[in-house]
Amino acid sequence: MRKEVWFGLAIMAFVVILTFWALPPPSQITQGHLGLLMLSLIVVAIMLGFPTAFTLMGMGIIFAFGSYYMQTGGHTQVSIRNTLDLMVQRAYYVMSNDVLISIPLFVFMGYLVERSNLIEKLFKSLHVALARIPASLAVASLVTCAVFATATGIVGAVVTLMGLLAFPAMLKAGYNVKVSAGVITAGGCLGILIPPSVMLIVYGATAGVSVVQLYAGAFLPGIMLAGLYIGYVMVLAKIKPQFAPPLPESERFVPIPPANAAIAASYGPKAVPSLFRSLKATAAPGVPEGHARRQLLVALSPAIAFVVLMGLTWHAITKPDFAADISGIAISTGGTESTGEPGAEGAQGGGLAEPPQDSGGLAEPPTEPTAADQPKERAEAIAAAEQKKVEQKSAEAARTAKAAAPADWVRDPTPEAFWIVLGIGVALLAVLYVMMNFARLEIFKMLLASFFPLALLILAVLGSIVFGLATPTEAAAIGAFGGFALAAVYALVAKPREVSRPVWRTWIPLWVLFGVSVVWFLLLKFEVLTSGPPVWVGWMSIIAIAA
Amino acid sequence: MQNVLLFVDKVSTWVGQALSWLILSLTLLISWEVFSRYVLNHPHPWAFDVMIMMYGTLFMMAGAYTLAKEGHVRGDVLYGFFPPRLQAWIDLVLFICFFIPGVVALCWAGYIYAGESWAINEHSNITSEGPPIYPFKTVIPVAGAFVLLQGIVEIIRCVICIKQGEWPSREQDVEEVDVDKLKKMVHVKDEDIAKLDRYLQQGGGK
Repeated sequence: MRKEVWFGLAIMAFVVILTFWALPPPSQITQGHLGLLMLSLIVVAIMLGFPTAFTLMGMGIIFAFGSYYMQTGGHTQVSIRNTLDLMVQRAYYVMSNDVLISIPLFVFMGYLVERSNLIEKLFKSLHVALARIPASLAVASLVTCAVFATATGIVGAVVTLMGLLAFPAMLKAGYNVKVSAGVITAGGCLGILIPPSVMLIVYGATAGVSVVQLYAGAFLPGIMLAGLYIGYVMVLAKIKPQFAPPLPESERFVPIPPANAAIAASYGPKAVPSLFRSLKATAAPGVPEGHARRQLLVALSPAIAFVVLMGLTWHAITKPDFAADISGIAISTGGTESTGEPGAEGAQGGGLAEPPQDSGGLAEPPTEPTAADQPKERAEAIAAAEQKKVEQKSAEAARTAKAAAPADWVRDPTPEAFWIVLGIGVALLAVLYVMMNFARLEIFKMLLASFFPLALLILAVLGSIVFGLATPTEAAAIGAFGGFALAAVYALVAKPREVSRPVWRTWIPLWVLFGVSVVWFLLLKFEVLTSGPPVWVGWMSIIAIAA
Repeated sequence: MQNVLLFVDKVSTWVGQALSWLILSLTLLISWEVFSRYVLNHPHPWAFDVMIMMYGTLFMMAGAYTLAKEGHVRGDVLYGFFPPRLQAWIDLVLFICFFIPGVVALCWAGYIYAGESWAINEHSNITSEGPPIYPFKTVIPVAGAFVLLQGIVEIIRCVICIKQGEWPSREQDVEEVDVDKLKKMVHVKDEDIAKLDRYLQQGGGK
């Protein structure tokens, strides 16, 4: 046998000898000594390599019996009965623990997301999107791993998949073997750290700590670790370019579809203005009817989402505060119910007997008081995630709602922070559109197809947990269901057109129906609408999901 | 002998796989309940009980399957370095010391526990008029029995290994299929991997 084995065995023998040496003579042994003995024997048994579950089970039974035997002064019958009672009650506790339910659901969600045929597209689109920065392939792998880590709670198939996908790509690009392997293993292991993490659920259930708080606390360190990995790789590539050489021009090239190329040739390289111009003019040669309109819609979708989001936020924070005169009730609910959405937050923050613009101060937007440690951007991001789903539909609904609103509403003054956020957002969008040429539009479309659906799902799941909208179990189930839908959609996309078309035709109306009821629900939460959706819409959408 | 062992493996696998479908129904049930509660404002009082029963059954019945697939977590500090005979000796001794008392206690205690529940026709007390809970408690001894059966098979395997010096074969693991599926998903072929191996052996990527 090898040297390491003898070394390990020597350590184990040392532990056992030390324990027995430290124990007093048998006449003076107390139950505390038994506990100590059990601890050292557990360490030894686990190091020997016997399955941990059975080690703990057997040790527990034997030592519980011993302890009861000492306690009862030698009553074997009583000791056995007590031990058995403890055993079965503990087993039943674990079986009926409502926190632990979320573990299989999160694992299932991760499994579905990993196998939804998404990773290849995601990696490729990130790879071309990040082509300019140093060590772009390594950074793209790390980002892919981090994205999947926020979708799974375990170190799952991502390591295998990235090993199959990114490792050959990196070696082909001339990356150092050690760097490439390190990137994949380090990135793949982020799954257990970034929420939803199975480890944190187990810890929360065992230690009696709120899983939601653990998630909120673990999010920043997890993301920070991923960021540090990325920073390290980038710095390494700058210092030692031979470890991670930049990609050749041929790898960075993004093919532009002929119709777009024709538009670019006749109207200039900037995507948005030239698409507008081509809309006005007659169709350029080789450009199909309605093509420019569709492209423009895709290109403008971030702006549309931003406008809808800011509009709803503005509506929510400037809405007059009806809850003020029942402040006693409002205080009792304001602290405990964190619905998490800016609308309800504004209303409830205001419920603490102050108008919102005062309670939040000038620099702070009116966020939920109990969630004050949450970075504000996350609230925005989550709201953004939910809003993206809604896009134009909610705009229509908002219009109708405004028309229906009572005429004697006087809006509260808009806080300054809102204008600051609005200004920053507009500036960012302006930069985005000035930068956007047709190649970048293609990259954006690739990201839209691969990155954003997953990001939406993740933000919806994590957001609803962290902001207390749903318990981890519910969020996990919804996430698993979302993963299911995602997998189904990507599987269908992968199929040839003839197969997928009839399926799409039956799916789309049903999903639109489902979307309508979800949008209705969100608007209700934002207090734009005052009544819930009629029950028949709900039932129809349940049928829709089932289909 | 080998046939009997493989047959027990198959039984454990079948039970585990059949009950793993519960995860799908659990997902659908909770999704539906969430939708019904938040959107339709129409919660169901029994949903929480059913949820817990599904999860508990899933959790307990996976034990035998995991044991059949050698899936229980081992602290692999030294175990991998040992020759098969020593591995088998360690497993044999510890199976008899820890596994047998633990699992027998689980079966026995579960049997008493479930029997009491049947005797008083116990119903869940989470909600008023909760669903009956005695079938759920019966899961404990049943799951214990399956684990015990699979454990006895493992003990016999240890004895065979001590005699022959190598581990007898077991029911084919699901992981091999899994890796093939993953390879297919990202369009990687075995030749590509072999090519990469050759490239590395020639000192590429240094």
